[in-house]
Amino acid sequence: MNTSTMLTALRPIETARDRARRAIVTVLTLVLIAFPFLGNAFHGLGLDWDIGDDDVDSIANALAYATLALGLNIVVGFAGLLDLGYAAFFAIGAYTYGVLTAFQVLPPWSSFWEPFAMLGLVQKYHQEAGDLVHFTLSFWIALPLAAVIAAACGVLFGLPTLRLRGDYLAIVTLGFGEIVPIVFRNVPYVTNGAAGLNGVMAPTLFGFNFRVDPTPYYYVGLLLTALLIFISFRLRDSRIGRAWMAIREDETAAGAMGVDHVKTKLMAFAIGAAFAGMTGVFFVAKLQTATPDMFGFPVSVMILVMVVFGGMGSVWGVVAGAAVLSLLQSWFLPSLTQWAHAIGASLDNAWLQQVDFARSTELIFGIILVVMMLYRRDGLIPATRKQHALSFEAQNVQGVRRGGFEPAATAKVLGDLPRQSGNLLEVRGVTVRFGGLVALNKVDIAVPAGGVVAVIGPNGSGKSTLFNVITGLVPADGGSIRFDGAEVLGLKPYEILRLGIARTFQNIRLFANLQVIDNVMIGQHARLRTGLLGAVLRLPAARAEEKAAQVRALDIIALFGNRLAPRLTQVVSALSYANRRRVEIARALATRPKILLLDEPTAGMNPAETLELAEQIDSLHKQGLTILIIEHKLDVVTRLADTVVVLDHGEKLVEGKPDEVRRNEDVLRAYLGRAATEAAHAA
Amino acid sequence: MTSFDVYLQQVINGTSLGAMYALLALGFTLVYGILELINFAHFNVFMVGSFVGLGMLEALGVAPNGAALTGFALVGVLLATFAVTMLASGLLGVGIERIALKPLRNVKGPAAMITTIGVSYVLFNLVLLGLGADAKNFPSPLPSVSFAIGGAVLRLREILIWVVSLALMGGLTYFVQFTKIGKAMRATAQDPEAARMMGVEVDRVIIAAFFLGSALAGAGGLMFGLYYNLTSYVIGFTAGLRAFTAAVLGGIGNVPGAMLGGILIGLIEAFGSYWISAAWADVVIFSILVLVLVFKPAGLLGRVAPNKS
Repeated sequence: MNTSTMLTALRPIETARDRARRAIVTVLTLVLIAFPFLGNAFHGLGLDWDIGDDDVDSIANALAYATLALGLNIVVGFAGLLDLGYAAFFAIGAYTYGVLTAFQVLPPWSSFWEPFAMLGLVQKYHQEAGDLVHFTLSFWIALPLAAVIAAACGVLFGLPTLRLRGDYLAIVTLGFGEIVPIVFRNVPYVTNGAAGLNGVMAPTLFGFNFRVDPTPYYYVGLLLTALLIFISFRLRDSRIGRAWMAIREDETAAGAMGVDHVKTKLMAFAIGAAFAGMTGVFFVAKLQTATPDMFGFPVSVMILVMVVFGGMGSVWGVVAGAAVLSLLQSWFLPSLTQWAHAIGASLDNAWLQQVDFARSTELIFGIILVVMMLYRRDGLIPATRKQHALSFEAQNVQGVRRGGFEPAATAKVLGDLPRQSGNLLEVRGVTVRFGGLVALNKVDIAVPAGGVVAVIGPNGSGKSTLFNVITGLVPADGGSIRFDGAEVLGLKPYEILRLGIARTFQNIRLFANLQVIDNVMIGQHARLRTGLLGAVLRLPAARAEEKAAQVRALDIIALFGNRLAPRLTQVVSALSYANRRRVEIARALATRPKILLLDEPTAGMNPAETLELAEQIDSLHKQGLTILIIEHKLDVVTRLADTVVVLDHGEKLVEGKPDEVRRNEDVLRAYLGRAATEAAHAA
Repeated sequence: MTSFDVYLQQVINGTSLGAMYALLALGFTLVYGILELINFAHFNVFMVGSFVGLGMLEALGVAPNGAALTGFALVGVLLATFAVTMLASGLLGVGIERIALKPLRNVKGPAAMITTIGVSYVLFNLVLLGLGADAKNFPSPLPSVSFAIGGAVLRLREILIWVVSLALMGGLTYFVQFTKIGKAMRATAQDPEAARMMGVEVDRVIIAAFFLGSALAGAGGLMFGLYYNLTSYVIGFTAGLRAFTAAVLGGIGNVPGAMLGGILIGLIEAFGSYWISAAWADVVIFSILVLVLVFKPAGLLGRVAPNKS
């Protein structure tokens, strides 16, 4: 399978279900566009439904919730950050517009305000005691402005807190969600306190004032929802969306693959906040008032319920979730209440006549959260579709190449590796302690450029700790690690990766719920540059970069022949153990490494698979890649390594050529114990 | 009142509040230590506990404006009320764990935490729908005895809170340190896998943690009612957040830490309300939460299981 046939394989195959889904979306969109003017059109369908202003208003509200759910979905669904105070950003957007249009903050008029008046941002408000300034910020300016302010608040709040573990983040955001409405309540001179802002301005468009007619708000809501759906999809399918999902799946592995996790999380937080800020403007303009109680914890929970119900990470899912739950409140529960009253009247049942199901909305939300988590965690419309197993034919399209990777293809994947002499990696006197335990004690290891060094040693001898300290996952308690002449100790994992140090993990840390191709694409994260704007607008540069990244990912996967090529779009958790190891190596190669750190790459493989992989590693070496490998299988070590370093109890025992090390007494003792060594001598 | 008297009064108020927060914080810490789960349902187990206490007192004939009890009658009523409230709350906690959390024990990610939010919400709304939104008068069997210390006033209810809290915390410390299941709890908090291999029945340990934590929360809820003479469906949220802050401040997973954190948060609330204003008290407390988490995530006394990542 070559790259171009694989590219075709990547193109989504349209199933009947996809076509059905697209048809539903198209019909719904058309109905929604025409909805305020449908009047009694549903009579034709046999429905006794006259569409009135209140119905239009209900849907406009549902659209506002959909935009909130889309924003929270970026934070919770894409990036996996449980934000329990999301309504705070909604409040910030709402108050931005509210304060800047209501008759609340009225500074005295002076000539300073003249230019703002010319721009229409303020008006002179005539009073007997002296003229005042009335802010009249345009709704259309407020939308992007509130997005920026809310995003800035998100960054300010996220900067210290996004380093925290996920569960702590949840409680800190909950606190933030509490604080923001309290602050708005406690500064009455700006916000009119608990009573709320009055006289928030209605939007105007080309001289047409929206006032309290729901229809224009409805269309603004529809456009806003469409815009945010579009942005969500664009971001999801970009370098940034992949980085979010990588962090969600495995933060440590994401860092080791070059994702700057604080910056990436901040981006998710800021975008989510921006969505909420815009929605706040829309919501307040529509209601023309804002009180602190509109933005409390119940609102944050409601949005979370919508996201969970629809499907975390699923764009259409959360829109559907928001629509269903919002209409449940405004349509279904009131109707249910009326029916109950009618039945109660006929049965003469007092309880049925008085029950009000609308009051139990929040109870229903709580039950939905529990039931969804227990029985359907992926939500109504899951983000990832279940994959079908491969057919026998697909698995056997082409045998894997023996004797290692094809040289020309390997050279293409590895790119220009600098041919240099001397040591590429030098570990000098590195010590790592965990409490009282010394995991590494003044270890020296040098890896010459273009060489292969193997690290062996009994379990617990510090081999994986060595890899972790080189890649910045554990701090050192002394020593120095120089790569290509520069010190790497103290750098963050993603910074170390950018220098050209890539690794695999002993216990395989792939992004388990993502496809093979996405895992390999994430490996390229640090080498790509597309930012938020490029991803959303899909500018030519971003498009070209994405295309090139995809081709490169396919080139790398193609090296492994039919082991991986037919499984491009499979979720890696569905792969065999050996294939997961291969994907991890492919992901590491995608980072454009100068040195590859392999932690027991053949563990758990049978002899044939081991030999195949050993040949492949050897072919990488032949193309000039420097390799540091931890391996237990001595035949692999002997075959690949120029130099073998033996670690025991965190200290370097021996270093030498494979054959020398194999015969070394100390090594035998470390592995087999003294008695066994003596027995071997006696025999 | 001299300023010393004012401060002394704040210390009396703050330690009383703090003792309640400490009882609630212990529940967070016990469950977090073992499952690494923030149990949001705990917020409203506290609230339900106060209503169970209310019901029990009414059942024993203590009326909101009735005569105070003395002597054995008073002790008997209090003991019975605390026992029933703690038992009911403990069973509620265990029930929540069995029904909603056990099936999710091996599920990665935020699923279990989201479930506890859902459960909390269900409890909250069941009480709201069943008993109404207005705050309920809480009957108190306590005679209105008070002592003047300088210009500060120490009431019987504060003494009751101190005595009961100290007794419960002492009991819990003894339990965790010296009983077999208490030792199993500590072992599980350190390393569940190793504990399992050493024959600890982790499932029983989890049940014990939920029972004890929820029972203490119930006692806290009852004290809340006796202290403020009212209860309402909304009390769980604020008290819960403050207690969680207390647990984090002391070092989550750490039993003495939760007690210390509770007292500190109570004092901060009392003095913050006095110096700044009650309206900003929560802002102060949540700012502390954020600052502790950012700058000293292990808390004042450190976490019990520092090795867990």
